[in-house]
Amino acid sequence: MNNRSDRWLAYFMILPVVAAVLAFVIGPTWDVGKLSLTQVVMGMERGFGTLDNFRALAADPLFALVVKNTAIWIIGGTILCVLVGLAVGAYLAIDSWQTTILRALILLPWVIPDVVTAMAWKWMLHGQVGIIGSTIQAAGLTDEQVSFLGDPSLVMWTLVVVLIWRKMPLVALILCAAIRSVPSEQIEAARMDGANAFERFRFVVIPNIAFSLTAVTVISMIWITAEFALPWIMTGGGPANASQIMSTYIYQQSFEFFNWGVASAMSVVNLVMLMLIIALYLYVNRRSWASGADK
Amino acid sequence: MNETPRPFYWTFITLCGLVIATYILFPVFWLFLASFKTRDELAQLPIAFWPKDPTIQAYRDLFDSGSQSSQLLNWPTLISNSFTVAVTSTIIVVVLGTFAGYAFARLKFPGRDLILGGLLVSRMFQGAALLLPTYRLMNMLNLQDSLIGLILLYSAFGLPFATWIIASSLREIPFELEESAMMDGASRLQSMVMVVLPLATPALITAAMWHFVGAWSEFAFASILLESNENKTVTIGLASFVELFTLEFQRVGAAATLVALPIMLVFFFGQRYFTRGLLAGAVKG
Repeated sequence: MNNRSDRWLAYFMILPVVAAVLAFVIGPTWDVGKLSLTQVVMGMERGFGTLDNFRALAADPLFALVVKNTAIWIIGGTILCVLVGLAVGAYLAIDSWQTTILRALILLPWVIPDVVTAMAWKWMLHGQVGIIGSTIQAAGLTDEQVSFLGDPSLVMWTLVVVLIWRKMPLVALILCAAIRSVPSEQIEAARMDGANAFERFRFVVIPNIAFSLTAVTVISMIWITAEFALPWIMTGGGPANASQIMSTYIYQQSFEFFNWGVASAMSVVNLVMLMLIIALYLYVNRRSWASGADK
Repeated sequence: MNETPRPFYWTFITLCGLVIATYILFPVFWLFLASFKTRDELAQLPIAFWPKDPTIQAYRDLFDSGSQSSQLLNWPTLISNSFTVAVTSTIIVVVLGTFAGYAFARLKFPGRDLILGGLLVSRMFQGAALLLPTYRLMNMLNLQDSLIGLILLYSAFGLPFATWIIASSLREIPFELEESAMMDGASRLQSMVMVVLPLATPALITAAMWHFVGAWSEFAFASILLESNENKTVTIGLASFVELFTLEFQRVGAAATLVALPIMLVFFFGQRYFTRGLLAGAVKG
């Protein structure tokens, strides 16, 4: 086998995956970018080279609300996801039969389809017969049953709580693996020096897992930015747009209002955000990229 | 960590475990329980935890096309559509991913690392932002409202990750094994199929499971592309119950249980492979 025939064989073998990415990722990205600079009237393209769509987007009274909600969703969601994931991960890293069982179970929320998750939580959070609200009321904490998804001031954070349930397990498992690989001599040495459990965690474990922690934070941000089905099925952006985030806004503008101009402008904003986060990810991971694409 | 067993410590560990397990399992379990209750029971306060007379009427309603409000959607069709799409695209992804993964792991060609890196980054580009252009593309190809279009789309979305999982596992298989096969006169393809693939089976299973779960669960693209009722998938069927809330929630519970069931089976029987795939590549997006 000579090198040249190997090379052609290789290009032939990777052709489908490269073509797939070009056709279904790069192509659509290009298309939506082009569309955002095109005047669209009722699905008909009229003239390229205008910023009207972006102007219309910025002029939408909803725009500020969507940005604020998206900030809660992405920043609030990521921070809470990593904090809860770190706590659960630290617990799972303990050696015992209880944690061994949990390590097997914990991924369940991660594999359950979004639509099922949305229905399950919608049912638990229901304003009249939801078990969460009625339990809180029965405990005397509220006078009336709280409608978590019906109250504009609560709905966004309620969605974040569901998001944590969905995304936290993988964060916890990755951090658990990182914590378990911390050299035990270091922990032992810190103990000898009189460090208590918190100090050992803060000054020995955290510095050791700093890389995983950063990587998992950025990657959660990417997952959360892309998440659409969960908020859409739970609230559809409501009540009165109180939980409208970028992804639900794009869907609604594209396929309910057929407002393709504004929808494509928002898609571009979303893609630029995603690219910035990906750039951050590549920067954080530069060590492993430099050493070949394998690790 | 070598903690000496102390009663306080043990209680603490167990309590934490119970809290986390409840948190993880309760939402799904509660939905499952609801599917065995009656409509009146679900609407009544205070909430009864266990169903009084467990009934499978809700499941019957889903499959009985004659019953009232048995929707426009026909659940046997939805299930068969979802299986067709998920299974077919899984086969496509694993076969094509194996070839591509082999090339990335074993062959030298200009641009190899750059292309592999590009594939990984492309995976992160999936979200609401591409819904509109994908819809336009599928319309242009005349593949909207067709299962074939959906299979094509899911395969395209799944291929980069499958390629990556398979490539990284093939790299760990010693090249000498293959070399000796080729010395004995086997061609590249022969040595790949006869020597390397049997050793890579765990990676192929991992890739297949991840893809199946993703394809079965996908909602956004299915919802914009599928229009006619005979083409819809289970996730669309379940989401269409939004209006039925509380009126017929036992049915939502039953449908959700059906949608979750294949995923749970894959998850529990393939635990080993699942965690493997996770540690191999989930951090890559």
